[in-house]
Amino acid sequence: MRNKVKRYAMLFDLRKCIGCNACAVVCKSENNVPLGVWRSWVKKVEKGHYPHSKEFFLPIVCNNCEKPICVTVCPVGASIKRSDGIVYIDPHRCIGCRYCMAACPYGVRYINPKLNIAEKCYWCHHRVDAGLKPACVLACPTGAIMFGDLNDPESDVVKTMAKNAVQVIKPEMGTKPHTFYIDLDIDTVETKQMEEE
Amino acid sequence: MDTQVIYNIIQQEAFGLNIAIYFYLTGLSAGSFILSTLAYAFGMNQYKPLGKVGIVLATMLLIIAPFFLLIHIGIPYRAWHLFVYLNFASPITWGSFLLVLYPINCLIYGYFMFKGNMRLTRIFGFIGIPLAISVHGYTGFILAFGKARALWNTALMPILFLVSAIVSGIALMILVCIIKDRFFSKEKKINLTLIFNLGKLLAWMIIFDLFLVGSDLIVLSISHSDAQATAHLLLLGKFSPLFLIVENLLGKIVPFILLVVPKFRRLTFIVVASILVVIGIFIMRYVVVVGGEFIPLI
Repeated sequence: MRNKVKRYAMLFDLRKCIGCNACAVVCKSENNVPLGVWRSWVKKVEKGHYPHSKEFFLPIVCNNCEKPICVTVCPVGASIKRSDGIVYIDPHRCIGCRYCMAACPYGVRYINPKLNIAEKCYWCHHRVDAGLKPACVLACPTGAIMFGDLNDPESDVVKTMAKNAVQVIKPEMGTKPHTFYIDLDIDTVETKQMEEE
Repeated sequence: MDTQVIYNIIQQEAFGLNIAIYFYLTGLSAGSFILSTLAYAFGMNQYKPLGKVGIVLATMLLIIAPFFLLIHIGIPYRAWHLFVYLNFASPITWGSFLLVLYPINCLIYGYFMFKGNMRLTRIFGFIGIPLAISVHGYTGFILAFGKARALWNTALMPILFLVSAIVSGIALMILVCIIKDRFFSKEKKINLTLIFNLGKLLAWMIIFDLFLVGSDLIVLSISHSDAQATAHLLLLGKFSPLFLIVENLLGKIVPFILLVVPKFRRLTFIVVASILVVIGIFIMRYVVVVGGEFIPLI
């Protein structure tokens, strides 16, 4: 039986990702993201030595978790999880205490240098509410990004997830992320770039 | 196999030096308050001279401390949101009430102490102890709720913060008592028994602190990969000079030796030990806050 309540999810098919950064660029333009900060970006990791090497991509957006730690720790209740699963920040309530940035395991939050409040990807909820897809989904030239309702058996996301192995980033954090990846390579998550020592 | 990051964004710093200073000041305040109640609430009369010094220090430090939070937050004039829009799951909400109640209690307790009303002093002393423990303990919970940072996300954090608060509080109290007796008292004579008693107390609290830091480090070094990276960062990486030499060798082990070896039972060495402890605990706050978020999340 079909569940009336919506639960949105995003799915990245990394077999199709070519690392073109179109999602990161369109996100900046759609959401008016200032210079120096990103709501979505593509982490690139190279494995092996030339000629036996390959670059792997990890497009990162907010996971809009089922159990978001940012909502738990926000002292003024500015981080809110909607009934359809989208986690967003009330810009009029946020005081910029940065606790959500300290607690988020995925590093997707930033302080807007102009407004001094926390911001992050919220799957373009202004577009979703109007019946459109998020900007990055439309911009992706290879169709690697899918977005839809997990409770709708007819949605792209459900159909694709039913036939492919999916993974999330850092499942051990217990936040139950709802941004899923097909063909996720563990090295793209685990390899970290330290500041120069 | 070689893997290297070709492109990634640089994360902004969430908590920085301001938060480390804030933790340090609330720690000093809670430590001084607890010392002040030893005589006036628990009746340990050998610590009676600490009562008034302790409460004045505790109140002053806790009035300064929240200003570092105001500097830290992005929109300071929205600080009133903390008292109107509440989220009781968040340690910062607990803290916004503790930071109001604790200084008020300190003022009342101090007022009755200076008035000489011993019964009410005792009552407000007992009310103040859980407040003092909470006002510093909750800062440990703030860090412990940062579940992605291996150095913060441990149940040891609140107790580690409390013990280091008492350590720094005793050391500051020794210094302030010496300065007060030497320059501002009528007799210009330092109460040596009191100083040596405090020194002994300090030595044993340092050992407890070292035990907690050691337990934390041992578990970090065998836990998940980020925890191992953090242990490496503290022992061999960028933070090792601060962590090993300043915080633990100069800030804890050297003062402990100066305080317990009978040959060093002189005022000069106690002063040196206290100064080292006060600096060492500040570096501890800095290493925990800034070192904790040094390892990139993704």
